[in-house]
Amino acid sequence: MEIWNVLSGEAPYLLKGLLITIELLVGLLVLGLLGGLFLAIVEVYGGRFFSKLAAFIQRGLRAIPALVLLFLAYYALSLPPLFTAIIALGLRSSAYQSQIFRGSIQAIKSGQMLAARSMGMSRLQGIWYVVLPQAIRLAIGPWSNEYASETKDTSLASVIGVVEIMRRSRYIISYTYGNALLIYGMVALVYLVITRGGNAVLYWLESKLRVPGFEERG
Amino acid sequence: MNKKRLVVVGFLFVFLATLLLGFGLQAKEKDVYKVGVDANFPPWTWVEKGNYKGFDVDVVKAIAEVEGIDIEIIDMPWSTIVSALGKGRIDVLVSGLSITCERDKMIDYSKPYWSVNQAILVAEDSDLNAITAMSMGHSVGAQSGTTGYMWVEDHLIANDVDVKLKAYEDYILAVEDMTTGRLDAVLADTTTAKNFVKKGRDVKIIGSVSTGEQYAYAVTEGDPYDLLPKINEGMEKIFESGRWMEIFHEYLAEYGYAPPAKIPLTRELTCE
Repeated sequence: MEIWNVLSGEAPYLLKGLLITIELLVGLLVLGLLGGLFLAIVEVYGGRFFSKLAAFIQRGLRAIPALVLLFLAYYALSLPPLFTAIIALGLRSSAYQSQIFRGSIQAIKSGQMLAARSMGMSRLQGIWYVVLPQAIRLAIGPWSNEYASETKDTSLASVIGVVEIMRRSRYIISYTYGNALLIYGMVALVYLVITRGGNAVLYWLESKLRVPGFEERG
Repeated sequence: MNKKRLVVVGFLFVFLATLLLGFGLQAKEKDVYKVGVDANFPPWTWVEKGNYKGFDVDVVKAIAEVEGIDIEIIDMPWSTIVSALGKGRIDVLVSGLSITCERDKMIDYSKPYWSVNQAILVAEDSDLNAITAMSMGHSVGAQSGTTGYMWVEDHLIANDVDVKLKAYEDYILAVEDMTTGRLDAVLADTTTAKNFVKKGRDVKIIGSVSTGEQYAYAVTEGDPYDLLPKINEGMEKIFESGRWMEIFHEYLAEYGYAPPAKIPLTRELTCE
């Protein structure tokens, strides 16, 4: 069996797998972004009780291995594997993202909130119009790290039956009885492109949206 | 409690609920039954250019056709597939699965359809024989959770034979490791082992272990959808119609097996 012929025949199906990987990545990052922002705001402004509760959720989710979360979600939820993986990895990502946003929210001087309040804004208005527009821009740098690590963690989802690019490439290794080095090498390149490409966009956004008065990346 | 508080409580509640929700959300009737395969196990089950192929895939399709049931084939990695069946996430497991008493506690088997033993594979240039390969501190690999793996555990390691057992996600990776010299031998089902030789990997079979295993299809414990009688009857029907032999010739005849005189076989293993 000529491996290059096999690979060209399999290319459309590998692309299908890549599409699933990207769907999973986008899904979990969006869920993680919403959940992470919410957890971060509650942890910073939620008052004693809610701030503790948010910290408890976030620490718990960060303490459980992604693989274990995937299996827990798979056996607890009767959802298709892709949704299950988005929920499991997305909740975990929201815990990590909450810490990115907490850091950047706390980097905004508290005087700004006081000023907003003295102008007659409510606390929520202060968060929405004054703190978040700066905090989110500050978070882009550290967030690119989360993007890279989640991209790679999507490969874990194949254990619960998500047929993404890892699983698709395994099929080829199986029925050609080998070529593991070549095929995993190609998969590594694909992940490299997704990670580097995404990060390039994020770095560009970071410098484009830089908050005046803060240090810039060197 | 003011409004904002309520909103915050509401959101946190939804967040926790998403974490915990889902216990007991199982449907009772089925139009389409989910057939789980591990698509990394040729010649029984694999995926080529997006299509499910293999002996077991064709047999289960033929059975579904004569029994008038609709099936959907789903790929599940080996490490998850038996427990997924045990928990009812798939309805039927069709993937060159051996009958063992350990698995019998979690799942229910159909009548068997194939007999295998375990073959000992070594690299083509290896000087080891069947006895030295499995002793003297040599490393033996097998796919984790398979009967070959369990055999080394139960019969060699439990008897203090000096052998290092390594678990692999699948046989391809074990053989790959052996051809690069990191592993001395691989213990695999005879059909799988002959496949590697046939496909021109640099390996040879130096002996076999008579485990007298049988492959069967399996359903969730308790057979909640009454599928076993249909599978057993379907096997008989497609054997009588000659379809079973066609599939045999397509996938298995090339390994030099004599076809069995009758399908289904009689089960050898009895469990408490």
